[in-house]
Amino acid sequence: MTAFIDIVLSGIFHAAVLFLLAGGLQLVFGVQKIVNLSCGAFYALGAYFGITFVNFSIQQGASPSYLLALILLAGTLIGLVGPLIERLLRLVYQREEGFQLLLTFAIMLVLEDLIRMIWGATPMTLGNISMVYGKLNFASTTLPVYKALVIGSSILLALALGWMLQRTNFGRIVRATAENRRMSEALGVNGVWINVAIFTLGTMLGTLGGALVVPTSAASLDMISEVVVEAFAVVVIGGLGSMRGALVGALIVGLLRAFAVYAYAELEFLLIYLIVILVLIIKPSGLYGKAAE
Amino acid sequence: MKKQLVQNQKRRSVIKGIGATSLLAAGGWGFPAIAQNTPLKVGILAPRAGIAGTIGECGLRGAMFAVDKINKTGGIGGRKVELIIEEETNAKDTTERFRKLVLQDKVDCVQGIVSSGVSLAMSPTVEEMKALTIYWDGTSQDGVKETIPTPKYLFRSTDNECEAVMASLLAIKYYKGKFATIAGINPDYSYGRNNWAAFQALLKRFGIPHKVVAEQWPKVGTMDLSSNIAALKAAKPDLIFSSLLFADLPVFMQNAHAAGLANGDIKYVMPAAGFQQTLMKKEFTPEGIVFGLNTLDFNYPNASPLQKEFVQFYYSKYKDYPNWEADRAYFAMQIYKAGAEKAIKTKGGGAWPKTEEIITGIEGIEVQSLGGPGRMRGDHIAEQTFYQGLTTHKNKYDFVTTNPVDKKFSSELQKPPGMDFWQWIETAKITL
Repeated sequence: MTAFIDIVLSGIFHAAVLFLLAGGLQLVFGVQKIVNLSCGAFYALGAYFGITFVNFSIQQGASPSYLLALILLAGTLIGLVGPLIERLLRLVYQREEGFQLLLTFAIMLVLEDLIRMIWGATPMTLGNISMVYGKLNFASTTLPVYKALVIGSSILLALALGWMLQRTNFGRIVRATAENRRMSEALGVNGVWINVAIFTLGTMLGTLGGALVVPTSAASLDMISEVVVEAFAVVVIGGLGSMRGALVGALIVGLLRAFAVYAYAELEFLLIYLIVILVLIIKPSGLYGKAAE
Repeated sequence: MKKQLVQNQKRRSVIKGIGATSLLAAGGWGFPAIAQNTPLKVGILAPRAGIAGTIGECGLRGAMFAVDKINKTGGIGGRKVELIIEEETNAKDTTERFRKLVLQDKVDCVQGIVSSGVSLAMSPTVEEMKALTIYWDGTSQDGVKETIPTPKYLFRSTDNECEAVMASLLAIKYYKGKFATIAGINPDYSYGRNNWAAFQALLKRFGIPHKVVAEQWPKVGTMDLSSNIAALKAAKPDLIFSSLLFADLPVFMQNAHAAGLANGDIKYVMPAAGFQQTLMKKEFTPEGIVFGLNTLDFNYPNASPLQKEFVQFYYSKYKDYPNWEADRAYFAMQIYKAGAEKAIKTKGGGAWPKTEEIITGIEGIEVQSLGGPGRMRGDHIAEQTFYQGLTTHKNKYDFVTTNPVDKKFSSELQKPPGMDFWQWIETAKITL
């Protein structure tokens, strides 16, 4: 039973981080119809900036017990690079998907080199700071409180996103734009502003994911490619453009991976891609995606 | 393609002017005046980014220290040394950069390579292009089988398995009778798989009863190891063997500690942990781990004056402590210097020796490296001094060091020329 709980918790933690990244991808595709290959770089940017921000804050006298607040602030602040990058994307909104993919891939490479220039090639960590909140002991197992807080933060962000999209005026405008951009613009919606806002929000989800994970991990340039593949698996399973799909897809990928590692480590990635193939065969639009018209 | 071009232009840095005064000193060196006006070009291939970036950077610093020292004392045979640095990335791109170093930059020697995956793939090209190449840390083994049994131009580092063999021997020495169940978490490529297999083979050889309860194979560079740790925890091993060696190792240790797997009940064996020594903080790394520092223990109490000078230089310049890759790079440069100068002496002056003559000079030669004596065998495989020990918190740093430290020469840890590794383990005279 203890092993089962440990595995489920590790799967949920992984899913929580994956959801943020995939959520950003979904949001951007849903509204802007751009498959953002640079999302992994935002994730890495959040991780590196998170380390710098936390170290700086602690040097300035902040208590390590503010870790979660500092990390959330760092992830949000660095997400403000979104508008700059969105300005570049305007060059390809009307171009074919191939151009859009190439541009977002180029942005990823540029960001990778920028990270290398600013922080260097050496992986960075925050040491054992995540243990500042201690551990939760239950059912003969332990869970670092920080991990529970990350899971909680991710759930809260998912709820806030859902509320924003469903219950606010801004959300209604976003959904209307995603449904029919020309019509919503004809009715007075500022499409340019919507693009900026949504891309920034998508970027922030990615940078928050990276910032939240780094106290329990390390920031390295490899994290860009490591996570992007899994994020796209989440998107394919959940359905492109669907936030609910991102949530369910992240849970499927996170839990599957955890159970595969436990049962037969070699299946860790194979199992995920088998599910991806299965979804593509049975329901190509994904579990919550809309079928192509 | 564009990325590669940009990288080549941007990351290539030609180290010029190192020891510019060396030419003056060369006059008093005693070597004949052989092409003294042209610098000796040495191409370096080292990872500069990603999880192996730290290791490549450390190797590069070792190489630059060696070149500085060489140039200050007159260069090699009176010629100052100039480094041309290229990045080691994947096997294909690195092989292309190797070709560029040889064909375009016309280097006299290529040194470097950390990844066995890259070195294995690049080795046939080295022989094909007849370019004298000395690997820092790569081998030409496919698994444990030599793919180029009689290399002409390629010199390689000690067998990767040396680290696992020594760590296994230390595990038996210190932990015998204290464990019955074992688990492994090793990187999912030949290095990790061979190390894990070597550990089990040595347990069998020494008659240590054991049961494998879990095997974890995270992809190289995986930073979320929560699931692997949950699986290890569920298996309840007495001992965990891990040859993780990149940035994933401190992440593993930190998360294992948080999961209650590092409270002193479980024994750990980490043959390659030295690469990450400064990140293995006391707060999550327990004492008593078999910890592989391999060919350089920066904190070794009886270190040579050369090592002490290097560690002091390294800390004052980089505010960090070196790992064994610096020693490998230093060793490669000194082996090349010694071989070239031996060839010059054999020729008795005149023209600069041919590549083949330098190769003959390198074979069997001995040098003093940072971590201790080393030599190059006739079959082009290095022999070096290895250090491993048990971790301790009793030091002035915020990370673990080792005490006691065991020291072995690699002739005790690697198979002799031409022999099969597994057969060697079964039949060799191995002492604890």
